Amino acid sequence: MKPRLAFFDFTGCEGCQLEVINFEQELLDILSAADIVNFREAMTERSDDYDIAFIDGAITTERDVARIKEIRERAKILVAIGACACIGGVNCLKNFYPMEEVLRIVYGESAHYYDTIPARPVDAVVPVEYYVQGCPMTQSEFVKVVKALLAGKKPEIPNYPVCVECKMAGNICVFEKGETCVGPVTRAGCNALCVTNGRICWGCRGLVDDPNTDSEKEILAKYNLTPEEIIAKFRMFLGYSEVAK
Amino acid sequence: MKYEVITKEDFPSFVNGLLSEIEVVGVKMKEGKFHYDKIKSYDELCLDYDVTLIPPKKYLLPPKETLLKFSLGGAIQVEPSIDATPRVILGVHPYDIKAIELMDAVFSDSNPDANYMERRRNTVIVGVDCRNPSPNAFCPSMGTDTTETGFDLLLTDIGEQYVVAIGSEKGEELLKKHARTREATEADLAQRKAAQEEALAKYKLSIKAAVEEIPELLEKNYDHPLWEELAAKCLSCGSCTMVCPTCVCFDVQDDLELNLTAGERFRQWDSCMLQGFAKVATGENFREDCTSRLRHRYFRKGNYMLKRYGKLGCVGCGRCIGACLAEIANPVEAYNRLKEGS
Repeated sequence: MKPRLAFFDFTGCEGCQLEVINFEQELLDILSAADIVNFREAMTERSDDYDIAFIDGAITTERDVARIKEIRERAKILVAIGACACIGGVNCLKNFYPMEEVLRIVYGESAHYYDTIPARPVDAVVPVEYYVQGCPMTQSEFVKVVKALLAGKKPEIPNYPVCVECKMAGNICVFEKGETCVGPVTRAGCNALCVTNGRICWGCRGLVDDPNTDSEKEILAKYNLTPEEIIAKFRMFLGYSEVAK
Repeated sequence: MKYEVITKEDFPSFVNGLLSEIEVVGVKMKEGKFHYDKIKSYDELCLDYDVTLIPPKKYLLPPKETLLKFSLGGAIQVEPSIDATPRVILGVHPYDIKAIELMDAVFSDSNPDANYMERRRNTVIVGVDCRNPSPNAFCPSMGTDTTETGFDLLLTDIGEQYVVAIGSEKGEELLKKHARTREATEADLAQRKAAQEEALAKYKLSIKAAVEEIPELLEKNYDHPLWEELAAKCLSCGSCTMVCPTCVCFDVQDDLELNLTAGERFRQWDSCMLQGFAKVATGENFREDCTSRLRHRYFRKGNYMLKRYGKLGCVGCGRCIGACLAEIANPVEAYNRLKEGS
């Protein structure tokens, strides 16, 4: 019997689910190997009987907490997709303000209709088996994880910094171009997409397992970033981690 | 060794002649830096450069390469995959030529690497002596500022002309076929020597220990506090090894297609500085802490390779120095510190 897949969205832009819909040949191949039974962004039918749940978005309300626990109970395997679900992502920018203020900024006079809690990644609430990092999630890594799940194998996800892929791509280091980035502590797997296209790395794929963030902070300071600018750099995507506090 | 002379006026037609029969890669400018890339005409080529971002090893050991394709449906089928496009690498500096000699030793040893060997056979190396070394280079300490071996042709700029050292029959044939040259005179060779000496005087860094001393220097200092000091700043980012012309480690993985019946086996550059490098199937990691990884890299370059291949694993190009944001990948500083015994 084909495995039954479900997609659920929490707080985020839903761009990671859009990345799934954007697949062409791969989506057809996935559909021939698995059944998608719940995917609000792509289909009308909804089923609560599924094996693998893909979670897009961060957890930011009490209702989210209850809902993700329910999904966790139903799913055999839970996969977080994208920066919001995997590491909290840009949602965690609000964690550095009082929650009442955040509600007031967004909802004004209607603030009292809503509740909000500091944003957190899915695994801050329930156990997660696999992660597809990135903002948006890295498409090729999604396929890699799906293939591994279908084959009953552990996916090979890099545990080394973006610098490796940057060098393999033959890029000039952004620090040599008078800019700075957090690539030296960020998990590779994106083929250094941003730097290869002339931008810098903001850390959307999360930190490597044992990052030397002290050294990275020293380097950023050496390249004339103030302590506030350094913290701001880490808060963009990594607000939930210690390094941004 | 035979030497010919080609004028700078005649040189473009030699390059364009090569281009008419074979793929040519050479050094090009890239945002103020230099890199190897395919060239379409002589005009794109840069022969006076300090150092390239990535060494020419990328043409002999590509960053990522398919090794074989397999199909598991019914009878298992396995098809080896070797991309060995014939090509000339034009403008290789002597230190990179020395590094390729070391790669040859590694990949031809005991169980020759089919992909490497076939590519190497199809590769012509046209070197050029370095006139303006990178500020991070320490080639004279490693004896790699010039070379008498490892190339098919080697150019030395002597002003209006290049002296061309002929290192192989293949090189000689290409030169005869595509270039107008004359035999070098004593005076030309004297100018060649002078040009090499002029460049030699431009190197800024040097190691205070003789090359032969390095293996023992390391052995004596296995427990030196230096390794821990450097590791405290190390990002384990692998930059020093990715840009290193003598780093040849790779990781092999299988990639299955979504139909789960076909796929490919590929390899990609790996690095002993990365956390997972020495991790084995049971989850055991032989070099889990950064100190042991960092020390290992130095021992590999300055000791193990010499013992196994008779060649030191460092050619003094200084790319690691330039690539290390934490400013710790500096063999000159490390060896000098050990030599001074502090």
